[in-house]
Amino acid sequence: MKKFLLPLLFLLLFIAESLFVQFLPADFFGQNRTLAPRFLFSALLLLTIFVGRKQGILYAAIFGLLFDIVYIEIIGIYLFLFPFITYIVSKIMHVLQANIIVAFFVSILGIALLEIGVYEMYYLIHVTNLDFVSFLKLRLYPVLLLNAVFLLIFIYPLKRYFEKVAETLRGE
Amino acid sequence: MPQFFLNKRLIILLVSIIVLVALIGFSLRERSKLSLPEQFIKDTTGWVQSLVSKPANYIAGFFENLQDLQDTYDENRELKTRVEKIASLEAEVQALKQDNKELREVLGEKKTLRDYKTQPATVIGRNPDRWHEMIIIDKGNVKGIEKNMAVITANGLIGKVKSVNQFSSTVQLLSAMDPKNRISALIQGKSKVYGFVQGFDAKQKLLLIKSIPSGAKVEKGQTVTTSGLGGVFPGGLMIGKVVDVKTDQYGLNQVAFVKPGADFYDIQNVIVIKRSMTQPAKSDMSNGKEEEL
Repeated sequence: MKKFLLPLLFLLLFIAESLFVQFLPADFFGQNRTLAPRFLFSALLLLTIFVGRKQGILYAAIFGLLFDIVYIEIIGIYLFLFPFITYIVSKIMHVLQANIIVAFFVSILGIALLEIGVYEMYYLIHVTNLDFVSFLKLRLYPVLLLNAVFLLIFIYPLKRYFEKVAETLRGE
Repeated sequence: MPQFFLNKRLIILLVSIIVLVALIGFSLRERSKLSLPEQFIKDTTGWVQSLVSKPANYIAGFFENLQDLQDTYDENRELKTRVEKIASLEAEVQALKQDNKELREVLGEKKTLRDYKTQPATVIGRNPDRWHEMIIIDKGNVKGIEKNMAVITANGLIGKVKSVNQFSSTVQLLSAMDPKNRISALIQGKSKVYGFVQGFDAKQKLLLIKSIPSGAKVEKGQTVTTSGLGGVFPGGLMIGKVVDVKTDQYGLNQVAFVKPGADFYDIQNVIVIKRSMTQPAKSDMSNGKEEEL
């Protein structure tokens, strides 16, 4: 039973993102700003930081693929970016100590990298024609702010849980 | 740095970039249908999503009701003034409908572009990354939904069906940027003016209607509906109201800015529209890749 808890948590976050967007009023945060939740990816980064690179990249690839198929209908974007940024983050964490404050800032950095990566890809395939400066203003800052709030609330319980998971993994 | 290029990780990175490009290319091309594994995954997650989103809808509805209670008094007064007008309007519409039907029978033309069947559906998800404006609804192929059908809410057109699975489907909203997405629109004034809904101004949240002839008179406040001439959508679906008219960049046509009647956010229930009139074969209508709806 405990084995299924981890995938279930990520599946819950996967669906929570879509629900969040569905019920968010249009002008919640100033007229034209876009608030995109990155709850799933924040949790994936925390998993990488507190449990390990192998699990992190595996889950990132699986949920990246799921994200592409279900929400985007263009396969490859998140399938590539989720594991790639997870890998970069795990490299960064080699140098840094895995405490809660460092984890917070590294996760924010990871989300920023993801947003910029996604923007660049969509710009290339003409899904968007927003220029970079308006992208920063209308999208990146609000998204980082929203996810910082999410992390502030959930980073502590997630850290506790992931450390427990890491312990059982080491025990096996 | 020969060592750098022999690096195993670098090779993995390069291979994955190649795979990425191939996959994106595969999914970007014009697909009439999603592949079976994709459909299966979408249906499965759709089922889980509807398990979660239906109670969520219910709770959100409850809070909305509470909010509504606050301004009930003002609304009631406003509505009462309107009700009297509606009764007479309804009688008039009835008479006109009857007239129309009789005249059609005389002519022997029974079907019109305006006829359609409806299929209500509930929204069970929305694309969280918000670059593609898409929603997922809980009805699919089994309920007779097909690609490119129009999707409306009570207030007007919101988009078209982008892909269909067995038990769920994806709807692309009008606010999505997709150059292939052209909808034939009719601006109702003293004379009929036709144009194409083509693009969305993300900064002002207005739809753009292009290819309006430069001589045509378009004024603020005129209603815009679908024309039904695109061959896929039925006519007479509300799109919005004209807010502003400008000459386009070459000075040959006019562009109308239209405030959409429907809210593209906070959508919970939608209606999928199935056109009754037969569709002309696609090869008869267009020669290029562009779709006109």
